[in-house]
Amino acid sequence: MSSGSVLLQVLINGVLFGSLYGLAAIGLSIIFGTMRIIFLAQGTMIVFFAYVCYWLAVKAGIDPYISLVIVTPIAFVVGMGLFYALFRRAAALEDRNVSLLLAVGLLWLVENLMLQFWTANARFVSDAVADFNIRTHGINISGGKLIALVIAILAALIVTLWLKRTRVGTAVRAASEDMESTTLMGINSLWVSAVAFAVGLGLAGVAGVSMASVYAFDPGYGFTFSIKALVALSLGGIGNVFGALAGGLILGLLENLAAYYIGAGWIQVVAYAIFILVLIFLPQGLFGRRGVVKKV
Amino acid sequence: MASQLLEVKDLSVAYGDVRALWDVSLEVKEGEIVALVGSNGAGKTTLLKTISGLIHPLKGQIVFAQEDLGKQNPKHRVDRGIVMVPEGRRLFQTLTVRENLRMGAYLPKARASFDASLERVYDLFPILKERANGKAGLLSGGEQQMLAIGRAVMAGPRLVMIDEASLGLSPILTRNIFDLIVALNEQGTTVLLVEQNVNMALKVCHRAYVMKTGRIVMSGTGQELATNDEVRKAYIGSRGSTAARGKGGRAQ
Repeated sequence: MSSGSVLLQVLINGVLFGSLYGLAAIGLSIIFGTMRIIFLAQGTMIVFFAYVCYWLAVKAGIDPYISLVIVTPIAFVVGMGLFYALFRRAAALEDRNVSLLLAVGLLWLVENLMLQFWTANARFVSDAVADFNIRTHGINISGGKLIALVIAILAALIVTLWLKRTRVGTAVRAASEDMESTTLMGINSLWVSAVAFAVGLGLAGVAGVSMASVYAFDPGYGFTFSIKALVALSLGGIGNVFGALAGGLILGLLENLAAYYIGAGWIQVVAYAIFILVLIFLPQGLFGRRGVVKKV
Repeated sequence: MASQLLEVKDLSVAYGDVRALWDVSLEVKEGEIVALVGSNGAGKTTLLKTISGLIHPLKGQIVFAQEDLGKQNPKHRVDRGIVMVPEGRRLFQTLTVRENLRMGAYLPKARASFDASLERVYDLFPILKERANGKAGLLSGGEQQMLAIGRAVMAGPRLVMIDEASLGLSPILTRNIFDLIVALNEQGTTVLLVEQNVNMALKVCHRAYVMKTGRIVMSGTGQELATNDEVRKAYIGSRGSTAARGKGGRAQ
């Protein structure tokens, strides 16, 4: 194996893993639009839906890629329920800290529930398609990771079309800009926020399924994942679905490069250093809109 | 002549401990342009927001087309035909002109007559048709005000409440916007105008109310108030007066 193909392998693995960060960041971006908080429980919800996928595989023998069409709607409905149960009152408050703290509370609650249900042992869903490897020119591409990337791109495409082409999607964009103004149009802003939140959670469902068959996961991984999604979002910039996805891919790439050149232990150091540097020098991110940053 | 469309009775509003409106009563008849004038902080915007349902009153009544609106939410009020054009336009800047208009016609009733309303808006404001696919944020100030009014028209309103239509506009553009408001009114839409540009507002309206520190202190026809000494002194005449901030009023 030449050093060139090793580097290529590193780059490919980075991009493939980054697609999960990207999916998580898209969810954060949509939720941030209307709720004006970083939904810190997103990573934990992704792990939760990975467990749902795991359970469907273990208890009912459902293939993870088939469970995608089951878990995603479940995640959407869970999102609706969570919004009305937890955020209904907080969403109306001027002070966004209450919503943020609710998200943090949810994070630890769900994490500890998962510890009770599934223990702290890492789980993994084995799947024939995901375990298939493509070998060519000394490079090894995991089928499952490739599928995860394709799913992430498709999800970004669908969410973008939904935001641009549908009435409710347009209302989500409108409410992200000016909630009071949408209310004055007779639009139920609370409902629009609920839909946006549910779509964000639906994306957590997609990411959970993508993750379950490719990477080992445990309850504690969720929080780290939320923070990585936040780093990806800051890289991509808020208010742009494909920007968020690209931010995730870039983060995955940089992490893998750091692991290769400096050492695996440095992955986290590099990720958070990037986070801080981006916030200092490029607060609107690589693909974000300047106006959005100014307004927030 | 025409029947009562909006009746506000003894309305009082407070923000926390700070009283903003004191026993405000006014009425708007079908087909009228009614102006609400007064200096900054008089409570004009608060009154419009209360009529829209954004703010709940301490006491008092708002009756629209014989219906007591009570604690009905903004959606219900828009559906009944009360639509507000907020101060500073408050457009969706990153949405296109057409998308903004689409948001105006969000409720089922308005959506059903989307095409007819769109034609009406493009007829009133032809420039919006030209700019239909451009971002609202890229429009000029005058065009943005047109879009804000057009967005309200898309809801198929019986009453349009316009908060500070002249804000930030040149005298010529202000006249232009007021001409369009009159045209809208002549098509049968009732208008409640809030204005700091007292001179202009009194010229186009049928009747007007003068507000001061949360109370209605005077009312009459536009003509009556425009020739009233007190009004002239406080809001129109003296150059140095802060109340005469709407500079457009001096262009005649």
